[in-house]
Parts: sequence; C-alpha cells; structure tokens
Amino acid sequence: MTVLAVVFILLGLFFLVVAAIGTLRLPDVFARSHAVSLTDSLGAFCVLFGLALYQGFGINMFKILVVLALLFLLNPVIAHATLRAAYRAGVKPQAEENS
Amino acid sequence: MTSSFPKQLLFNTLALFGVWLVLSGRYDLFHVVIGFMVACGVAWLNTGFAHSAFHQFPWVRAVLYVPWLFLRVVQSSLHLTKLILSPSLPIRPKLIFYRSHLRHQGAMVMLGNSVTLTPGTITVEVNGSHLLVHTIDEEAGEDLTSGRMEKKIAQVFQEETKDR
Repeated sequence: MTVLAVVFILLGLFFLVVAAIGTLRLPDVFARSHAVSLTDSLGAFCVLFGLALYQGFGINMFKILVVLALLFLLNPVIAHATLRAAYRAGVKPQAEENS
Repeated sequence: MTSSFPKQLLFNTLALFGVWLVLSGRYDLFHVVIGFMVACGVAWLNTGFAHSAFHQFPWVRAVLYVPWLFLRVVQSSLHLTKLILSPSLPIRPKLIFYRSHLRHQGAMVMLGNSVTLTPGTITVEVNGSHLLVHTIDEEAGEDLTSGRMEKKIAQVFQEETKDR
C-alpha cells in the first residue's frame, strides 16, 4: 500500500512540475491557464489520492476525498472567473476566432 | 419533480449531518447530538426556497457521468503534458463560439464546468446558451466541437439533442 501511495505522489509531483513548466513556456494568460488546470486535474488528484492511500481506510481518508471532490468542483469556477475577468478587461488572446 | 418540504428538510439535514460526521471526527454522545441539532436548525432555516435547481438535479445519473468525464480528463491531461514538453511547443490556440441546445440551467452549468475541468479547454464567457471556449489545439477541443460532451450531459438530464 505504501509503495502504491509513493508511486501516486511521485506521479502527482511530476504533473505539478510539468504544469509549472507549462506556465512559464506558454505565451499568454489564456494558454497559461490550461497549464494551471493541469495542476488540479492530475497533479493534485494524484498527490491527494496517494495521501489517501497512505492514510489507509479511516476518517482521514474520507476527509481527503472530500477535499478532492471540492477541488474538482471549485477549480473550474476559479479558472473560469479568472479568464472571464481577463477577457472583459480587454486582454486579447493570441488565437484565431471561429464559430 | 419538485420534492415536498419534509422530504427536502430530511435530505438537507442528512447531508449536513454527514458533513459534520466526516469533518468533526469525534463520536462521543455530546458531539454527535450537538451536530445533529445544528444540522436540523440550519436545514430548517435553509429549506423552502421553492425552485432551487439543487433538488431537481438527477443525482444518480450525474454520478454515472463522472467516470466518463474523469477518463476524458486523464486523456487530455496526458495530451497537454505531451504538448508542453515537446520542444517546438506545437499549440494552436483558438476561440470557439459554441451554441448549446441544453435547456436545463443545471445542464449548462455542468457543461461549462466539464469543459473547464478538462485541461486544454476553458469556458471564457457564458451568455444564455452560448459558450465562448478557449482551446489550446484542435484535438483538445474535439470533444466539444463534435458535440460528444453535450450529448453525454443531455443523457444525464434526459433531453434530446439535434445532430450537429
């Protein structure tokens, strides 16, 4: 169980590093926010899931799973709010538009 | 489909009490009784806002939708990782205007949230049934542009969609 937990945590750290690299490499706010959303979708998920496995079955595992569920519900809201603010403030994305 | 007042009250109380049990972590009589009383009180104060979308939400089918979404999230995360780590940075950012046929408010929220949760696509602006979506390249936006995601959510809310 501990081995599996460590594997998940390391995998999560890998995705967090990739997200950090992406945030630095990508050109503008809109593209960068994609890299940031990688943090919570796989990075934080793997780390928290690894921690839940490490804790074993019990109340702490449930708490971590609650945090995970809230993270998945709330992070899209924050990402959307940030980008909408940027869009309304007149930041133009480097992008082609079509319908 | 609107549930009655006692049913809503019971549901709210149980949900709040469940959160209390998970978060407090103390199971002696005093703490459990206090938690139950507070859950009843808060639920009683908050029940009775008649048309909350919360109580007409198809919970069971929504839970069944989660594994599919999770699979798509993992797949597009791996795709995005590949994009970021490739030396030439082959991104083609694009803004897509997407017109949805979903009628239920909750369904639109779910579509917008699903789009944003999937790495590579983010909802920038919502206006009625129109979404403005920023995608990082062609492949990341494919789920949305092909209408596959909307079809899945329409199944959850049991609405029909036109073929696009």
